[in-house]
Amino acid sequence: MNKRIKDNMVFWLFLTPALFSFLVVVIIPFFMGLYYSMTDWTAVAGLQPNWVGFENYKAMFSNLAFRYSFLRTFLFSIISVISINLIALFFAFLVTREIRFRNFYRAGFFIPNLIGGLVLGYIWQFIFKEVVPAIGGMLGISYIENLLLLADPNLTLFGLIMAFTWQYAGYIMMIYVAALLNVPQELLEASDIDGANFWQKLRNITIPMIAQAFTITSFLTLVNSFKQYDIIVALTSGGPTDIYKGQVVNSTELLAVHIYNIAFKYNRMAEGQARAIVFFLVLSVVSIAQVYYNKQKEIEM
Amino acid sequence: MANLKLTKVNKIYPNGFQAVKDFELDIPDKEFMVFVGPSGCGKTTTLRMIAGLEDTTTGDIYIGDKLVNDISPKDRNIAMVFQNYALYPHMTVFDNMAFGLKLKKTPKDEIKERIMKAATILGIEMLLDRKPKQLSGGQRQRVALGRAIVRKPEVFLMDEPLSNLDAKLRVQMRTELIKLHNDLETTFIYVTHDQTEAMTMGTRICVINEGAIQQVAEPRTIYNYPVNMFVAGFIGAPQMNFFDGEIVDTPDIKVEGCTMPLNSVLLDRVKKDNLYNKPFKIGIRPEDIRLESGGKGIDGVVEVTELLGSDLNIYFKINGNQYIMKTDSSKIFNFGDKISIVFDPEKIHLFDLETEKSLYY
Repeated sequence: MNKRIKDNMVFWLFLTPALFSFLVVVIIPFFMGLYYSMTDWTAVAGLQPNWVGFENYKAMFSNLAFRYSFLRTFLFSIISVISINLIALFFAFLVTREIRFRNFYRAGFFIPNLIGGLVLGYIWQFIFKEVVPAIGGMLGISYIENLLLLADPNLTLFGLIMAFTWQYAGYIMMIYVAALLNVPQELLEASDIDGANFWQKLRNITIPMIAQAFTITSFLTLVNSFKQYDIIVALTSGGPTDIYKGQVVNSTELLAVHIYNIAFKYNRMAEGQARAIVFFLVLSVVSIAQVYYNKQKEIEM
Repeated sequence: MANLKLTKVNKIYPNGFQAVKDFELDIPDKEFMVFVGPSGCGKTTTLRMIAGLEDTTTGDIYIGDKLVNDISPKDRNIAMVFQNYALYPHMTVFDNMAFGLKLKKTPKDEIKERIMKAATILGIEMLLDRKPKQLSGGQRQRVALGRAIVRKPEVFLMDEPLSNLDAKLRVQMRTELIKLHNDLETTFIYVTHDQTEAMTMGTRICVINEGAIQQVAEPRTIYNYPVNMFVAGFIGAPQMNFFDGEIVDTPDIKVEGCTMPLNSVLLDRVKKDNLYNKPFKIGIRPEDIRLESGGKGIDGVVEVTELLGSDLNIYFKINGNQYIMKTDSSKIFNFGDKISIVFDPEKIHLFDLETEKSLYY
């Protein structure tokens, strides 16, 4: 057997298991899903799905709850991406300075990421329902004492963002830490001598030099906030209700939760599937655009 | 334009390591001062303390008449060229050079004018739109120099700026730096571990070892009258030879069973301090050893020869120790050839066994 054929065999031997599982659990279900999204499938035993074409898609865009959920998801994602990245970057600056206990801080900021979303949701439920009013009472500030973060439809989204930021900022911080440690020390020293102050160094040297990290962190935070599910389920399960254009909507029922509810709670599988596909397309376009944009700002050394 | 003064400067790192010991140095305006020493001797640390990138533990640094201990690098009016150039990779050559000026809110026209002038001096006018990664090592080096020049600093600090260049380019840049120093008429402080660079470029050389100044003098003085064995061994290539010897009351020196005359300066010193019959280290540079045909010299056996074109280096052994001498390349020697050598009495160095100090001082 010549070497080329042998190399080819090894190549396919290693590739096949991965390719096979990718096909079975991703590609095939995706196209099956595409098919089901154009039927009236309900997953009820015995009922055969009937082809309905683009009916589910048409219904979706005229559905107010879906549109509302979409907007809320965008709002949640934009604010989360900003808050997580700002806080992560701030933490990263903090723990890359010559301070005492910095490894302790690094670990501490990272730990929330090790707690599962559900557990974390319940912890924050306790914080919002018990701790915040108790602190308000102790300080004698009645606004805080009566603050119902999880009951006020205008505020609940921010409660979620707080919990999500707390969970995810530590992880993103680690990426920034790695990037900051990679900024060549001489460049900062050269800019010191050139006369740059802290902000000028940050803007002209540090931020451009960690542009690569921004590509990764923006992508991760963007995709993960879009897909956010478990914290919401544990903290609010979509509630509280609000009025949007004269109709009752769930104020924190973001897309992932919304799709799950449609499909499994109301048993409208095909409709849920159609929404999931739109969700997938939107998320793909947004994240590809983001990566493309960030990539252009990266620096080749 | 400024002179520089360091008084009793010490640097002790938190782990207790003393990188710089009692550094005392006056550098007059417009001098090309070279700090030279082996790696880890504290020369770069000293430079960084002058730049303000590192704090002094004790001691004062003056630039001009101003005490700069607590002044940040940007207010010291210095420019520094780093070993790896430290060019900003995301900026063009022009922006790299303009960065410091922009921060100082220099008018745009003036920035452009200064950059064009510096670029012309360095021959990098056509590179101004490029990014550093599109440049060769030598070009980056020039840009780094350009970035320093445009700021019109009072003092130029250079930290082994040529060590990343290939041998040929290094020789070329050496002369260009000397020219640049003449043109700019500014104080240069140049750090290197390369004694050739030190010898060729410095108006004065400061030899440093283990954090302490060994000798500060003009290159010629350092070479001809090194103050101790360290300086004698560090400056000069190939290295100075050290023999064990003794001063006998003929008065001569006795080395390897052979007596040789002393020169008048050393003789006066020996007479004055009554150093007869005492053992010494005798230092002699390779080019100051002569071949002797009369048989009155020290006998050695040739090990290896190196032909350098005009010169020939002969490595030879006496009683198991290897020494080196330099002669003209017309002679041919083979392994095992017996030679007989004598020292040029005017060029002999005597070093105290304990203090390692030269008897010339």
